[in-house]
Amino acid sequence: MSTFAELFLNGISMGSVYALIALGFVVIFRATEVVNFAHASLLLAGGYVTATLHDDLGFWPALLVGIAGAAIVGAAVEFLVMRRYRGSDHSVLAIVTIGVDILLTTELTRRIGTDVLTLGDPWGDSVLTIGPISLAHTRIAAFVAAALLITAFLLAFRYTSWGVAMRAAAESPETAALMGVRLGRVSLGAWAVAGGLAAVAALFLTVFPTPGLERATSLAALKAFPAAILGGLDSTTGALVGGLLVGVTESLATGYQSELTFLGRGLGDLAPYLVMTAILLIRPAGLFGTKELARV
Amino acid sequence: MSTTYAAKAAAGALAALLVLAGCSSKAKDDEGGDKGTAAGEVKTGDGISGKTISLGVLTDMTGVYATLGKSVTQAQQLYVKQFNADGGVCGYKVELTVRDHGYDPQKAVAGYTELEPKVLGFAQFIGSPFVAAVKKRIDGQDKGLVLPQAWSDSLLGSPYIRVIGSTYDIETMNAVDFLMKEKGVKKGDKIGHVYFEGDYGESALVGSKHIAEEAGLTVVEQKIKPTDNDMTAQVAALKKAGVKAIVLSAGPRQAASLVGVAAAGKFNVPVIGNNSAFAPQLLGTQAGPALMANYYVASPSLPIGADTPEAKKLVAEYKKAYPKDSLDNGIVAGWTAASAFGQALKKACESKDLTREGVDKALLTLDALDTGFGIAQDFTDPNAASSKESVILQPDKSVTGGMKVVREPEASEVAEAYTK
Amino acid sequence: MSEALVGPLRLLRTRTYVWAAGGIVLLAVPFYLDRFWLQAGLFAMAAAIGAIGINLLTGSTGQLSMGHAFFLAVGAYGYCVFASESGDGLTGLGLPTWLAAVLAVLVSGLAGGLFSPIAGRLRGAYLGIATLALIFIGQHVLFNARDLTGGFNGRDVPPLSLFGLTFDDSEVVVAAVPFGSAEKLWYAGLVLLLGCGLFARGVLRSRPGRAMNAIRDHRIAAGVIGVPVARYRAAVFVLSSMYAGLAGVLLALVFQRTVPDYFGITLSLEYLAMIVIGGLGSVSGAVVGAVFVSFLPQLLTRYSDALPLVSAPGTGGIAPGEASRYLYGAAVVAVVLFLPGGLVRMAAGRRVRTDQGEKR
Repeated sequence: MSTFAELFLNGISMGSVYALIALGFVVIFRATEVVNFAHASLLLAGGYVTATLHDDLGFWPALLVGIAGAAIVGAAVEFLVMRRYRGSDHSVLAIVTIGVDILLTTELTRRIGTDVLTLGDPWGDSVLTIGPISLAHTRIAAFVAAALLITAFLLAFRYTSWGVAMRAAAESPETAALMGVRLGRVSLGAWAVAGGLAAVAALFLTVFPTPGLERATSLAALKAFPAAILGGLDSTTGALVGGLLVGVTESLATGYQSELTFLGRGLGDLAPYLVMTAILLIRPAGLFGTKELARV
Repeated sequence: MSTTYAAKAAAGALAALLVLAGCSSKAKDDEGGDKGTAAGEVKTGDGISGKTISLGVLTDMTGVYATLGKSVTQAQQLYVKQFNADGGVCGYKVELTVRDHGYDPQKAVAGYTELEPKVLGFAQFIGSPFVAAVKKRIDGQDKGLVLPQAWSDSLLGSPYIRVIGSTYDIETMNAVDFLMKEKGVKKGDKIGHVYFEGDYGESALVGSKHIAEEAGLTVVEQKIKPTDNDMTAQVAALKKAGVKAIVLSAGPRQAASLVGVAAAGKFNVPVIGNNSAFAPQLLGTQAGPALMANYYVASPSLPIGADTPEAKKLVAEYKKAYPKDSLDNGIVAGWTAASAFGQALKKACESKDLTREGVDKALLTLDALDTGFGIAQDFTDPNAASSKESVILQPDKSVTGGMKVVREPEASEVAEAYTK
Repeated sequence: MSEALVGPLRLLRTRTYVWAAGGIVLLAVPFYLDRFWLQAGLFAMAAAIGAIGINLLTGSTGQLSMGHAFFLAVGAYGYCVFASESGDGLTGLGLPTWLAAVLAVLVSGLAGGLFSPIAGRLRGAYLGIATLALIFIGQHVLFNARDLTGGFNGRDVPPLSLFGLTFDDSEVVVAAVPFGSAEKLWYAGLVLLLGCGLFARGVLRSRPGRAMNAIRDHRIAAGVIGVPVARYRAAVFVLSSMYAGLAGVLLALVFQRTVPDYFGITLSLEYLAMIVIGGLGSVSGAVVGAVFVSFLPQLLTRYSDALPLVSAPGTGGIAPGEASRYLYGAAVVAVVLFLPGGLVRMAAGRRVRTDQGEKR
């Protein structure tokens, strides 16, 4: 039982990091209806800035600069690339983000090279031990940060004018534009916010129990795809639930792999996708996604 | 209508083509490929033009094995530089042609195809699936010597593809032997084995299962992927299973995470990794102290910081040539492979046969190649690894290369008796 | 070429000559170029077949698929299973190789059909990410179903034999030029690519093609005017999977061994990059994109010594592998921004106006 509890808690805390990444997808999708495959590289950018600066600035200022840096990269991608596209096909735009991702990731991995960069976080490798269960402080911090940020976004979407503008833009860009919403600004903001979120996620992906930032860190973003989709790409709550679900599934599938050998070993990576596929079969728009009502 | 045009044109062209093909440089000429077969001269063949011997290097500098590939390649370039400075072989200089495949099968096979006609052999080929992919061609027609930087047991058995040092299965047996002799693991105990999906991990698993059967242990398997960086769930599962020690056949990052998590959770069992499961860069991370306390590495040679004159010389020269790069055991691996090739060339030169066949044969006569890293390599049997010995190392920040020796080169009885 | 008849006769002749000249060059290639180039060309041909398939799906019908690599794997491994004899702990059916190739393509189609409950229901981004699941499932199966796939080391690919001719490395001398597997496969590849290209063009220019475009441009309107949307989407998914399967078979024959690492997410992304760079929705676009994306890294690696900015591996600076990634990332972005319609539109510039049939 204690193993289950430990795996479950670990899954929840890992899942909250996935939720942060998924939230980044959701923000951009809500504002522009584009799936951002470049998110992985924003993550790497944020982590890289933090890692290179923490020695000189100290951890917290470096993290702030990292968040700002990733936000600027995100905004720059929107301003220089996404905004210039004159078509309307969102699939094509999604493929463009793949191109952007290749460019940014190649540049960042070239800079990182074969190093493992530490981010200089204050938590170190300390653990909280309750009875037989131990949980790393970094993971508790991840959970708290994710919970705070996601709540903030839920509120922001509902009550701030930025959130209303974003929802309006997603609903009907033309109407929103006619009502005075500056679509460009909304989408620029969304990209910047997504970049900032990615930097926060990068922090929690590279601290203990993982050794540090290195070239493969960005691959973790792949695990946030099923999280974002199974929750519903346009739902903030969905990102949270999806993230947690993916984290717990992954953790349990790994922890109990000896009991699941009939499916082959090494299920951890696969399990989230299986859960996602099952959910999509029942609810094609995800658990909390908006169903499209057009019927023929 | 247009089809008639096309058909006429095509037919005419095809006829012309067959005539023209005679002028193609690919056309076979009757004069044989062997140059300089006159008495007393050295026989040469593919891969030698003018006074230069070309050797191929198929490495990974931008993919998952970038750390290994960089060290191995730089060490080999250094070896070749010295080899030429010492006068080369039979009056020939050696030249490396490097192709970076980034661990992409298509680029690896393309690189092999491109270099194969131009080189005498390959001093490095990273990625055992790719070596396996071209194995048929190497064994069937090309017959050039290939020294893979991959220690999978599935590569053994070819007279042309020669693995240097112990394969992962043998290394793992020696690692478990160390756990039993010095770390208190005994018959009836459970040991955990965390391994990568793929040639490396699964080859190591063959070894741990074999010695477990011989010694009465039970292996608790945990398969992971190279992208898994957080070992928390694996540690929880192994703790639940009650293992007395953990074998790790994964990368440096997984080692850092696993040892760190285990230490933080007061799960103090010894952890031993294969040669590839450590990088000196890790000692600077948070997992550093835990690694120095409870982590061991089985290695096919003494570490780069070994206390031998050859090692010291190599360290000094490597530092001079690549001052910014860290010292790791990839350098030893690359140096040893290049030395093996160099020695084979010298032997082949003595018997005046620098053809591919001559070099293959020459390597088969090397039975105790010692490059100054503690273990003699015996290349006389293509069905066995060139050595069955492993050194057990422990991470230590204060030593060059970050590793110190805790058990001298030794082959366990199980490994000695093991035949595939 | 019916639409060409309405154009001036001169144009027709010029085009015929261009085509014939191109054809002759392609036929002559194995007599002159060495194995490296032939192999690169074969990779490009296989990629072109796969890219035509995904262009039908993503370019013409607007369904984003990131799971193309999975169907390539089904084709490649399917061929091995059908064609090999059992042995070494591997299952094999030992069928004639040509039959194995046909069956492998059919099995890929079947795999696509099995996915249709999802393919038929999801749209856009949802479908794209759902198909990503296929990659992970595929990788898991390739590594774990040892007796079918050979695990991490893959399995040997039996050479194709057709009409008594075996496409292996046993030398056949044609006009004084020794023909190995690459030379022989070159012609097989050309025939397959031509067949696949013509078939896809036929589909695109007829009723189904127009229905597919209607679904892409306005799904609901297409349904209203009587296009059976769900059925079409499922059918295109199956067809596209079969193209991928054929590409997989050809790749396997060129590689001579299937390796699981190859069929990962990068491969799927490369196929998407191909159709965007070449041009969405057209056969020629897929071919041009495939040639660009598969030749670029090999050219840069081979001529890394001669290129400015690119440096040999190990000397610091930008390695050829990185340079090609920069270029192809930039190509995707630049093509979409500055050349909507892809490279073929640029090349075809003038012709577009007269040649309505090619238009997507």
